[in-house]
Amino acid sequence: MIDAETLAQMNGKYVCPPDAGPAWRAAMEYGFDMSLVEDALRLTPEQRLEQHQRALDLVLEVKEAGEHYAAK
Amino acid sequence: MQQNDKALLSRLKDRRVEFVIIGGVCGVLHGASLVTLDLDICCRFSRENLLRLEAAVKDLHPRHRLTANKLPLELTDELCGSLKNIYLNTDSGVLDCLSEVSGLGDYEQVWKQSVPHRMSFGEFRILNLDALIAAKLAAGREKDLDAVKLLLAIKEKRAQQKDLF
Repeated sequence: MIDAETLAQMNGKYVCPPDAGPAWRAAMEYGFDMSLVEDALRLTPEQRLEQHQRALDLVLEVKEAGEHYAAK
Repeated sequence: MQQNDKALLSRLKDRRVEFVIIGGVCGVLHGASLVTLDLDICCRFSRENLLRLEAAVKDLHPRHRLTANKLPLELTDELCGSLKNIYLNTDSGVLDCLSEVSGLGDYEQVWKQSVPHRMSFGEFRILNLDALIAAKLAAGREKDLDAVKLLLAIKEKRAQQKDLF
């Protein structure tokens, strides 16, 4: 049986670390997905660059597909 | 045209262009979860350095992306002396080169507020986190101020976890 809290987390609820400071909480409340930042901070800068490149490739691919679709 | 920051950075490095990574990619290297569509650098706008920059991207069909006719990058002594920024489209993506950064100053000032960063394809200088925040605040656009919120959170986290970069 999955408890309500786990279910909420499965549905996207972000659990703010207990030691999070005011800036972290402000960014979270502004709407940033701070779990992504946590993940990024576990990587080396070069890994961050590579991850960014993959995200960028996807964005550009989607953009290109959209332009293709709009042209039809 | 696919943006390939690593390819552009490698070329600049290989040609010994003096530059500092600024802007969104700098934010990414600091850990910001943002996607940016260009590579921004601040570089020394001396004739020698600009010619190195030109040589670095020469075979990538560089064009001044903001000119009406997308003029090719063909530097002359006169141009080197009068350009303050160079906004390029290349076969490896957009490369924006600035001689100064709002809130920080010229290349010398920017360099002083940068840190070296080693990656497998070379060592690069990137703005330190405080300088990046100052630059974003000075730029003042909505997207910059959004990024500041994230960068301040990262700064705070780093202060808590000294081993983080």
